[in-house]
Amino acid sequence: MSDIRKWFMKAHDKSKDNGGVSKAANPAPTDTDSAPGGQESSARRKTSKYFPAEKQKPKDEQREELPAKRKVQNGSDEKPPPSKKPSKIDAADDFVLPKSKNSVDVTPSKKLKSGSGRGVAQKAVDTVDSDEDDAKDLESPVKSGGRGRGGRGASGAPAAGRGRGGGRGGFMNFGERKDPPHKGEKEVPEGAPDCLAGLTFVISGTLDSLEREEAEDLIKRYGGRITGSVSKKTNYLLCDEDIGGRKSAKAKELGTSFLTEDGLFDMIRSSNRGKGQSKEKSKESAVSVPASLPKKSPQKTEVKTKVSEKGSTTTVSSTKQRGQAIQHSSLTWTEKYRPKIPNEITGNQSLVNQLHNWLAHWHDQFLGTGNKGKGKKQNDPGAKKAVLLSGTPGIGKTTSAKLVSQMLGFQTIEVNASDSRGKADANISKGIGGSNANSIKELVSNEALSVNMDRSKHPKTVLIMDEVDGMSAGDRGGIADLIASIKISKIPIICICNDRYSQKLKSLVNYCLLLSFRKPTKQQMAKRLMQVANAEGLQVNEIALEELAERVNGDMRMALNQLQYMSLSMSVIQYDDIRRRLLSSSKDEDISPFTAVDKLFGFNGGKLRMDERIDLSMSDPDLVPLIIQENYINYRPSSSAKDDSGVKRMNLIARAAESIGDGDIINVQIRRYRQWQLSQTGCLSSSIIPAALLHGQRETLEQGERNFNRFGGWLGKNSTMSKNYRLLEDMHVHILSSRESSSGRETLRVEYLTVLLKQLTVPLREMPKDEAVKQVVEFMNTYSITQEDFDTIVELSKFQGHPNPLEGIPPAVKAALTKAYNEGSKRRMVRAADLVTLPGMKKAPKKRIAAMLEPSDDVFGEENGDALPENEENSSDTGFGHQLEEEEEEVVRLLQDLPKRKVGVVPGLEPEPERREKDEK
Amino acid sequence: MLWVDKYRPKTLDQVMVHQEIAQNLKKLVTEQDCPHLLFYGPSGSGKKTLIMALLRQIFGPSAEKVKVENRNWKIDAGSRTIDLELTTLSSTNHVELSPSDVGFQDRYIVQEIIKEMAKNRPIDTKGKKGFKVLVLNEVDKLSREAQHSLRRTMEKYSASCRLILCCNSSSKVTEAIRSRCLNIRVNAPSEEQIIKVLEFIGKKENLHLPSGFAARVAEKSNRSLRRAILSFETCRVQQYPFKSNQAIPPMDWEEYISEIATDIMKEQSPKRLFQIRGKVYELLINCIPPEMILKRLLHELLKKLDAELKHEVCHWAAYYPAKEASDSRPQTKFMLRIAADLENQTNLQPYDSCDDLDFS
Repeated sequence: MSDIRKWFMKAHDKSKDNGGVSKAANPAPTDTDSAPGGQESSARRKTSKYFPAEKQKPKDEQREELPAKRKVQNGSDEKPPPSKKPSKIDAADDFVLPKSKNSVDVTPSKKLKSGSGRGVAQKAVDTVDSDEDDAKDLESPVKSGGRGRGGRGASGAPAAGRGRGGGRGGFMNFGERKDPPHKGEKEVPEGAPDCLAGLTFVISGTLDSLEREEAEDLIKRYGGRITGSVSKKTNYLLCDEDIGGRKSAKAKELGTSFLTEDGLFDMIRSSNRGKGQSKEKSKESAVSVPASLPKKSPQKTEVKTKVSEKGSTTTVSSTKQRGQAIQHSSLTWTEKYRPKIPNEITGNQSLVNQLHNWLAHWHDQFLGTGNKGKGKKQNDPGAKKAVLLSGTPGIGKTTSAKLVSQMLGFQTIEVNASDSRGKADANISKGIGGSNANSIKELVSNEALSVNMDRSKHPKTVLIMDEVDGMSAGDRGGIADLIASIKISKIPIICICNDRYSQKLKSLVNYCLLLSFRKPTKQQMAKRLMQVANAEGLQVNEIALEELAERVNGDMRMALNQLQYMSLSMSVIQYDDIRRRLLSSSKDEDISPFTAVDKLFGFNGGKLRMDERIDLSMSDPDLVPLIIQENYINYRPSSSAKDDSGVKRMNLIARAAESIGDGDIINVQIRRYRQWQLSQTGCLSSSIIPAALLHGQRETLEQGERNFNRFGGWLGKNSTMSKNYRLLEDMHVHILSSRESSSGRETLRVEYLTVLLKQLTVPLREMPKDEAVKQVVEFMNTYSITQEDFDTIVELSKFQGHPNPLEGIPPAVKAALTKAYNEGSKRRMVRAADLVTLPGMKKAPKKRIAAMLEPSDDVFGEENGDALPENEENSSDTGFGHQLEEEEEEVVRLLQDLPKRKVGVVPGLEPEPERREKDEK
Repeated sequence: MLWVDKYRPKTLDQVMVHQEIAQNLKKLVTEQDCPHLLFYGPSGSGKKTLIMALLRQIFGPSAEKVKVENRNWKIDAGSRTIDLELTTLSSTNHVELSPSDVGFQDRYIVQEIIKEMAKNRPIDTKGKKGFKVLVLNEVDKLSREAQHSLRRTMEKYSASCRLILCCNSSSKVTEAIRSRCLNIRVNAPSEEQIIKVLEFIGKKENLHLPSGFAARVAEKSNRSLRRAILSFETCRVQQYPFKSNQAIPPMDWEEYISEIATDIMKEQSPKRLFQIRGKVYELLINCIPPEMILKRLLHELLKKLDAELKHEVCHWAAYYPAKEASDSRPQTKFMLRIAADLENQTNLQPYDSCDDLDFS
């Protein structure tokens, strides 16, 4: 089997050669063009590890061999595939395609770039006609290849630098996919452009030397297609080991060929070998091949998409279309190719139909026009008078609304964010002049326009409220008013918003039929984009368009804008162009800090440009460093791949850590002294340097840990720490207020805590219950330690892997302690009261209330005076400058202090402490 | 009550350890006035005790009538107001606080509190001192700005407000402030002195002290009297009567740090580093100040390392705090280089693995 495959591959390569040959058709321009191109590509190559070596020089023997081989191939082509295995047939078909395809594309593209594009294309058209049949023949196999077709469109510039590489989806390694065993050891070959065009690959398992992302990138660059699962259309299953998964089972079932990584390399490499032959190539093939080109794209449009723009047909040559494009260039593509009929809308067809139905039946439903009477309204209580379309920008909400209205003969009145949409003037007598809202009111309540007149003459109206979630401060009461309008409306209202769950729209959704538009799939988008591209005479392959669709995240409008922008500078757009272009524009979209860290630390993080790195780490200058700091230990740096002892890695970690530390110092400068000019330096040392040192493969350090970047644990830890400090401070205050100790908080933690803990727990563990409880409660009273403080002490003494300090204390004793403490608390004073609720006051005073201690004899007289008015909430100011409640609290506390200070308690004051406790609860 | 507090000398006359300083202080204040004072010395040497005794000497027993207060300051700093909250301990005559607790905004506190105290001068100075005293703890942790602003207000309001500053290391107090104060160095008590105190306590508590036990406690205490008394009491709680060979329990966190040190010595790998980081987090969460962790860890490591690495470890241990000393918030992330002598020392040049133990 594998032999056969090899053979086919060779053949394929040859066909590639033919492609290359086509260049020779017009030797002069090609040469001039190719020279700079070559330089460019080689320059790029230097930055890419895929192409460390220069291109191989074509070998003479091979050239000679070539024609023969080609013959063979052609032969296989024309033969109806009889009893061969299906896989072989596929392969054969596919090999043919690239031949004609590539050769075709290359020529015009180069030329167009050089500025003589138009002329050339025309010439091609002239010569082509005779070859039309040929082209058609070629096309049929394409169809069998299905989506593979897109690959053909790409012209063959050598691959660009890998840029951000890896591609989407690759950054999260699901599960624990193993490292490629020979990672980075093989030289990745460079092949002729589009040598894999039309082929569909599925990757399974771990490859020998490439990461999966790398392999995907490689294949895509050469025009191949990657799909996720094996189907009939799959040409190759790329895998180095048969892991017997579902993919390989399916592939066996379908007879898909297996391809090893080496096989893939061979395929690419051999395609390149023939390049040199182009010069010697016979003209005939060159002529015939380019001929088919211009024909093809229009044809495709027709075949594939029944509705093609402006009824472009096969007879319209691409040149003509180009001419048209130039004429209309003043119009942006988004306007120009706005769908004209509802069926043209990309995606969401069912929603469009729903909208259509709703609008169509609106008048029957709510106005009971004609002789049906109002009874109809009751028939469908669920019906809403308005509709709310929601979805991300650029997916065609407004367009759908307009189109549907138009189709049903409604006249649309659009109100959007540029109009003031405030509350309508309640006094309608002021007239509608000036205020937009008033005119809406007028509009919706006025039946005359829509109902009473002859409908054939006067179009019905529909109100489109665009961007309703954008109602802002200027549109005060706008939503409420809109709802009111909906209630009384006599015309349908279509509201459009981006975020359906916006707080502002909460009330509105109850009055509307909700239609959530979804993003169109990338295939849908690519299809539509292809139509546009063809209509504009732009050569783009489908893979590139899908990439574009994916990059813009479902935003059709943005995709079109991008496409138009690119069309200004080039007429042939390839996968790599899209990637490069979109790399710069994707800045605007949100990158999550995780993605940013993934990219910085990714396998090709070292190839990012500095500005890209800065962009990444600046995407969230607070979180990115945190995540990096949390995860940098987990990375196995690719720069020390062959490091057995781990010393190198430790050294790198050390350097990274040092840099992170520097970053913190800088961060302090930035935050405390507002030295924001340092932010670049800060992000350099806290994010970029560690990432540069350690980027590589992530590995797990703990069992059962998932191999994703953890969120920075620091934030949580820090908040726990500040909580503990707060608790400690509470305890500190209590202890201070016991006047037995005046140590600082730190001393308390570092030195006292152990003793305190022992004093509190050892008796409980060792002494008889009652005695122990008594002793502990006494001790707690001495230092004014509350039960919360007790818990704090225990909490702060807990260390992971150490026994819980409370271990060994029987629950009965604990319960007894709690009970004894609570009992004692009737007479105890705890000198600091937190958040006391006072009767008559609804809210607890926010401030902590200070504890105050005065020797009882000093205070005693004073206190009686204060205690009495206290109940009135308005005690006189005692001169301590506190707020009333504090004052009161202090007095209460003083009272409680009395028994302890061995001063008799005035019986009349006894209730006070109790009240206080109640309050405290 | 803990012995530490129970046997704390209340007056300058009762002081057992630094009698000379106490007498000098007494003379100083009996002459009706006293300059700004700066007490410095290692922790557990008796600075705070001396200060409290001094206050009592100046103001009489009313200095002990303190109230604890969580005070709020609203400070108008140009365009915005800053809300700060700080615990103060105050009597009619003095206010004590640790401004460094509020972090880098400490200078506002320092400025405000002094002004406030200067404003509220006692009206009736008869029989009382004409000044109030402000006790500032942990002056060495004050930010540079706070120290600078202190310098001016110290002079401006010196008529009505005296400062008593207290810190561990005078080197972190700016020259300007040091020169405005009478510096009093409070030495760590010698082991003999500690033994004397312990025996005194033992006698008072009617304990039977095995011979040499007090000496062992004193030795373990690292010449901190407080530490010695506390661990003395811990021993008492744990086991009484004492045995002469009774183990003196280390502080819980010290125990934990020595575990970390053992971990480090055992293996130097990213995985271990990761675990150690977790443990250091644990310590920090339990409110152990970073510099204490660093110091203790160094101490533990030095016990285990071989001679050639010791220098290097010390170097790094000193390097990182010094590097950040210039301007680190108390909780700024700090770096800890842990020397890892690699198991295979013959082949590999021992080099430091670096552990970033971060916290901010």
